[in-house]
Amino acid sequence: MTKPRKAHGEKNRQAKTYDHIRKKASDGDAVVMTAMEFKRFVESEGVGKAAEEVDIVTTGTFGAMCSSGAYFNLGHSDPPMKIQRAWMDGIPAYSGLAAVDLYLGATELDESNNMLHGGAHVIEDLVNGKAVRLKATGYGTDCYPLKEIDTYVSLKTMNQAVMMNIRNAYQNYAAAANSSTKTLYTYMGKLLPELGNATYSNAGEISPLLNDPYYRTIGIGSRVFLGGGEGFVVWEGTQFNPGVARTPKGVPKRPAATVSVIGDLNGMTAEFVKGLTFTRYGTSLGVGIGVPIPILDEEMASFCAVTDDKIFTAIFDYSHQKRSRPILAEVSYADLSSGKVDIKGKEVPTSPLSSISKAREITEILKKRILDGSFELTEPVQRLPLDRSLRTLEVRGEKEAMK
Amino acid sequence: MKTKYILNFNPEASNLPITHNLIAEYGLLVNILRAEIDEVGGKMLIEVSGDEASTKNGVEYLEKIGVGVRPFKEGVRRNDETCTHCGACVSICPTDALSIDPETRKVKFDEDKCVACGVCIDACPPRAMEILI
Ligand code: SF4
Ligand code: SF4
Repeated sequence: MTKPRKAHGEKNRQAKTYDHIRKKASDGDAVVMTAMEFKRFVESEGVGKAAEEVDIVTTGTFGAMCSSGAYFNLGHSDPPMKIQRAWMDGIPAYSGLAAVDLYLGATELDESNNMLHGGAHVIEDLVNGKAVRLKATGYGTDCYPLKEIDTYVSLKTMNQAVMMNIRNAYQNYAAAANSSTKTLYTYMGKLLPELGNATYSNAGEISPLLNDPYYRTIGIGSRVFLGGGEGFVVWEGTQFNPGVARTPKGVPKRPAATVSVIGDLNGMTAEFVKGLTFTRYGTSLGVGIGVPIPILDEEMASFCAVTDDKIFTAIFDYSHQKRSRPILAEVSYADLSSGKVDIKGKEVPTSPLSSISKAREITEILKKRILDGSFELTEPVQRLPLDRSLRTLEVRGEKEAMK
Repeated sequence: MKTKYILNFNPEASNLPITHNLIAEYGLLVNILRAEIDEVGGKMLIEVSGDEASTKNGVEYLEKIGVGVRPFKEGVRRNDETCTHCGACVSICPTDALSIDPETRKVKFDEDKCVACGVCIDACPPRAMEILI
């Protein structure tokens, strides 16, 4: 299912090293380009020259990332309490951890399922410096006697407030349309009946993992721009699926890799951490992520030269309420971003759900931070795997589940 | 001259051929942008084209027959601070009032093209679009 690994990164013997690039950066000599600038440079000067002259390319994405959340350590009350149930501004936070540790997920809603205000919105409020009402209950123990608390917390009162997202920055994503006769409300936005529109959700040519298709430089330990502040890639993201069909240049044609990222909420800005509501679907967190890609050699330069016309995805029919939905059309990101695509002879207007303008802004900010020395490129301590495939959830017996 | 008005009328007025009269008697071009009418009356958003004097006469006629006339300045507002320029709204707006600038990839909102249909309100993930009527 997966491609042999060794073809990648072994070609160019006069490759630059991370140390070399980092030294240039700290001396103020590194050549840093945003993904957009780099693609134009390659177009006019060629891949060879780009590989020689450019050290780092900055990539970025800003979109709804449901598998996001944050964990907190609240500090101890007096008398102390072992929290069993907790609510932050009315939204349940998971507390099946140590006494005053909580995890708040982006898609969590209150008991009334009010989709205008979920976990994502509470996280945005905290990033904005607001205080959040904390209510908690516990059963009381000899060491933790307190059974109830009603108070306020903010980034200023907590010991740790850390964004911890188990799946972000999808390497490519499916596009959506609706062939039925009624409007559908989905995590892909409002889908008008009879193929009234199509939505897609990826920054395309400037998106991090599409510029490093075989994860040569984005790996565990990569320092990233996260929500306006800084964070790290800590693991492969959930649903990591590198074995999908790829173009001859190696670009996945379907949703493939993802990353799990972590970073301090302190230092993030609400501009890049946004609570979102997808009507009748629920809430999600808009997260901005930026990743610097070192141009180690010509192969990396050619990977980062990829443009929207060479990146493909499929438009799926979301009116089928099945795990595998029928494909309506195969399209490139150049088609999608033109504003209209052809589906079965019909001209269908498109909506990107991922903000390309914010993604570009992230590539600019990251470039500036690298140039002024405030953001340091790191070498991954471990590569992301290439041998994962997707499993499904079936109703099965105990023995079957162990096979 | 093009002007947008919000009309509020009672059941009697809704039986009168209002738009026909505006066109025939006052020489105005009337474009109905939005209408909600039921047995207790209704609301209409219209765009009137014609010279200043005829427009004024047309409005006076409407007021005389008991129709509430309010000039329509701003029906839908975008909170620019909240908008992430995601583009979720552009493919569902029926009038191209919302569109993506091909250069900057930012989403532009052209209030003149907006007919206050409200379709974009619940399609905007950060809820940047607000309907005022
Ligand atoms: S209210 Fe209707 S016409 Fe106005 S911007 Fe929204 S979708 Fe477009
Ligand atoms: S859907 Fe909302 S946030 Fe997205 S571009 Fe339109 S107005 Fe802006």
